[in-house]
Amino acid sequence: MTAARPAAGSAATSLPAIASKGVSVVVAAFREEQTIAETVRSLRRLGLDVIVVDDGSEDETGRIARQEGATVLTHIVNRGQGAALQTGVRFALARGAAYIVTFDADGQHQSEDVAGILAPLLRGESDVTLGSRFLRPNEVPWFRRVVLKTGIVFTRLASGIRVTDTHNGLRGFTRRAAATIDIRLDRMAHASEILDQIARSGLRWVEVPVEISYTDYSRSKGQSSLGGLRVVWDFLMGRWLR
Amino acid sequence: MTPFQIVAISALAIVAAFTIRAVARKRITPAAGAFWLFVWISGAIAIGWPAVTVAVARALGIARGADLVSYLSILAMLVGFFLLNVRVRRIEAQITQIVRELALRNPDDRAGADG
Repeated sequence: MTAARPAAGSAATSLPAIASKGVSVVVAAFREEQTIAETVRSLRRLGLDVIVVDDGSEDETGRIARQEGATVLTHIVNRGQGAALQTGVRFALARGAAYIVTFDADGQHQSEDVAGILAPLLRGESDVTLGSRFLRPNEVPWFRRVVLKTGIVFTRLASGIRVTDTHNGLRGFTRRAAATIDIRLDRMAHASEILDQIARSGLRWVEVPVEISYTDYSRSKGQSSLGGLRVVWDFLMGRWLR
Repeated sequence: MTPFQIVAISALAIVAAFTIRAVARKRITPAAGAFWLFVWISGAIAIGWPAVTVAVARALGIARGADLVSYLSILAMLVGFFLLNVRVRRIEAQITQIVRELALRNPDDRAGADG
């Protein structure tokens, strides 16, 4: 049995202690000049190394992220969140990161949840930690909930992995897990691809509760619910045409 | 021959001439040239001499020559869609690879340039 869930997800290990353990947080950002400053600041406040991949934004996203102390990698044209995350993960690995966390740029994630994400990895209990918004009471818009639950069923059927949340960008990886997972689906289907690769590679995974804050901004930035159909298409094509 | 047949076959003949020129100028491979010439000549035969398609259709167990042309067209479009899809995906992956390598070679590049 490689999977275990749900985990306590406690923040028992303090963040300052975690920060000294070679943690890199990878943030994929596309046109996020409104939120990127606070996102980077909140992570830097915890002493974390932040890598922002500016995915072809025409706005000030990259400059602001750099100002706030992030290392910025720039995609000269937009390639999608999956591509940006893979770029950031490769950079973090090359820089010697022992643990890698992926974190959304749009302000949906809470930096305080990073401790909970890292705790099972630091204890050696898992290779991958997946954030789940459904493991604690969370206000999820009803239509979003329906789409996400459908995604969960699809993931179970396609990959056989029994997660409670499929498209949650807050995840943690040990170095070995991050090197094992190779994100090839450039756009939003990467979330399903990551789960698929976890299931196929036999990496140990655990889910921990995280909070997602839905704002008008994050909803406007998030993928449309109809985009779910494209995710399914991209995922299946990626699997069949590889 | 009807006016339509004359126009259509003339158009196909011009396209065939362009195909031969493309092969001669090495813009497409001889194999690709042969394939496209086969397509244009088949089209010309189907339009100019419908009896041929009727005979082929009956030999294949299809009632009408027009049906044979329709089936083959649909089949060709589906195969074309698939091959195009594969090619687009490959090109997309290559673009991502180039963009990624550039990003990894120049960390903080934009910030440095801006300020």
